[in-house]
Amino acid sequence: MPILDQGYQHWSGRFATRAPRWWAITRQGVKVQIKNRWVVTTLVGALLPALVLAAFLGIWGLFEQKSSILTPWLFLFQNLPEELRAGPKGYRSTVWTIAFTQFFEFQIFFSMMLTLLVGPDLISQDLRFNALPLYLSKPLRRIDYFIGKLGIIAVFLLAVTLAPVVLAYVIGLGFSLDPATLRDTWRVLAASTAFSFVVAASAGLLMLAFSSLSRNSRHVTALWMGLWLVGNVASGALLATPQRDWAPLLSYTSNLGGVRDALLGTDAEWKKIGEVFRAGREMARSGASAFGPFGRRRAFEASFDDDNPTAGPFGSSKPSWPWSAGVLAGLAVVSVAILSTRVRSLDRLK
Amino acid sequence: MEVGWEGEAPAEPGLGVGRKWEGEAPAEPGLCVRLGGSLALPGHPARGVGLGGSLALPELFGGRGGGAMLIELEDLTKTYGAVTALAGLSVALPEGAVGLLGPNGAGKTTMIRALLGLIAVDRGRGRVMGLDILTDALEIRRRAGFAPEDECLFPGLTGVRFVAYAGELVGMPPRDALQRAHEVLDYVELGEARYRRVESYSTGMKQRLKIASAIVHDPKLLILDEPTNGMDPAGREEILELCRDLSRAKGMNLLISSHLLPDVEAVCDHVVVLGGGKVLASGRIDELKRAHDRQFELRTRGDQRRFAELLTRRGATAEPLNDHLLIELPEGATAALLWEIADSHEEQIRLLRPRRSTLEEVFLGALALGGEPG
Repeated sequence: MPILDQGYQHWSGRFATRAPRWWAITRQGVKVQIKNRWVVTTLVGALLPALVLAAFLGIWGLFEQKSSILTPWLFLFQNLPEELRAGPKGYRSTVWTIAFTQFFEFQIFFSMMLTLLVGPDLISQDLRFNALPLYLSKPLRRIDYFIGKLGIIAVFLLAVTLAPVVLAYVIGLGFSLDPATLRDTWRVLAASTAFSFVVAASAGLLMLAFSSLSRNSRHVTALWMGLWLVGNVASGALLATPQRDWAPLLSYTSNLGGVRDALLGTDAEWKKIGEVFRAGREMARSGASAFGPFGRRRAFEASFDDDNPTAGPFGSSKPSWPWSAGVLAGLAVVSVAILSTRVRSLDRLK
Repeated sequence: MEVGWEGEAPAEPGLGVGRKWEGEAPAEPGLCVRLGGSLALPGHPARGVGLGGSLALPELFGGRGGGAMLIELEDLTKTYGAVTALAGLSVALPEGAVGLLGPNGAGKTTMIRALLGLIAVDRGRGRVMGLDILTDALEIRRRAGFAPEDECLFPGLTGVRFVAYAGELVGMPPRDALQRAHEVLDYVELGEARYRRVESYSTGMKQRLKIASAIVHDPKLLILDEPTNGMDPAGREEILELCRDLSRAKGMNLLISSHLLPDVEAVCDHVVVLGGGKVLASGRIDELKRAHDRQFELRTRGDQRRFAELLTRRGATAEPLNDHLLIELPEGATAALLWEIADSHEEQIRLLRPRRSTLEEVFLGALALGGEPG
């Protein structure tokens, strides 16, 4: 049958008016990426810390209520200082802050992984297959294109940061059965939300900039690995040498961590809880039975650094947050500059 | 045929060319006439579809008379450093199929980009489908379809997803876009390959895919930049047939940029010849290919060579061309001379028609007048 006999029908539908123009790019990109089994595996892996966070907040809510449900597991709480056990509600925001901080410690890793899996193709493939004229001949501006592409990374990163945060927060609220929880912890939710967007925007912009630098996505992958892993290794190596206070700034994830801690106010909360544990230890030394029934030293308590009470149990290798924020902002500015240079409009001679 | 313009009718009554109108009738008393369509009375909402005409559009460009054109450009100027891509280009193109001819560097692609609002012009203004190219660029791109010259693909997609994605980018709901994608892929004869990744398509298939993605939202204007570039003769003929069908049977307005004159001639009613960023010639092809007063194509029943000799003796020139003679009469002579010679030598004239310029002659003539190489 001749092709023209198959007919051409006019379309009488309506254009969608509510969806932003860039949304089609994001939706299509997410659809394509979700078919990648490595992406799915990473998403599933990222669920684990989220489940742990949700479970922890639930258990803490029950602990606050001294629920009988926890009776079989009370031994888990025996090692806590007496002050904490007596009035857990007074340490609610502290515990929540530390829990969310630890959650993000893991999710930064998953975010880096997801960005690595999702991002390299986004612009490099468009450059390779010359897709820009197709995009820009549609009712899209260059900024719509960038936002649409950024949206793809953001969807995945927010899926492993913001979405679990909100869910865990709701679960924590539910288990606390105390309206005051909202008052005590809303800052944690706000800070976590803000940090989730910082991660999505920073990593997304950076990856898009990398992706625009090469038409070969393997090169982009290598660039990202360099930023992430080589930066961490270099930072660690330089930290070992004296007079290298700026060394943590070389690590992209340390900078994210610095901003995270500043937003959540983690240092102050570590200090607060550290003092409680130190007080408990003093009591133990003076013969009070603040230790477990077998006189075990608590690893968690012992790990606090007396000289640096804000360091938390894992020590401190993070840069000061204003510098970290500066580095992240600088990277974002450079990324935007790269994008605007590499992804040019059609307003040029062929 | 649902191709047209939607908007408010003008304050001044008049007559314009369009195909569809949806909106308020003029506030001023008067009558707006649609050719072959319906009427809209002052102050009353009107809606209708007509073939070949529509309500009057506002006078374009501050009072210049005449009906609305599909594309109107005035003094469009665009420079890239020392290179002038468009040099005060002014043109008005009617609905239908319009060919954009010109040598490399004539400004064809720049003009197309200006029409779509993809470039910031230095000077001038223009309207496409009644929309201002400076302020309504996104709406123009929504209503128009564009198939760029270069090979360009959304990577990693199957044919049907490719076309549906193009529809979604224009703003079609995803379900509509997918349904339309299947339809237009059938139409361009890519139905069998719809689930293949587009990277594996041949050049001809990619060209048809580009057209499919440009018509998925049923645009009122389809702009094709060198649609037959790099194609074999069979594929080229298929594309041209497709263009003809879209223009003549489906009522889609076409603007085809090409440097292949036969392609333009096969599809278009109008042609614009660009050179040096300016319009060198513009008009209906059948008018541009004007009849010559003293040049004729003639075929006789008997010995054409002998008839040519007779003509030469009377001061005419006669060259054999295929199965007929190409004749140029001397100054002041008319076709009566031919009949006279035939009569006097008992020859039968089986064909006699004035010679018309070919599009190639029009093109080369325009370039010569414009000082262009070619």
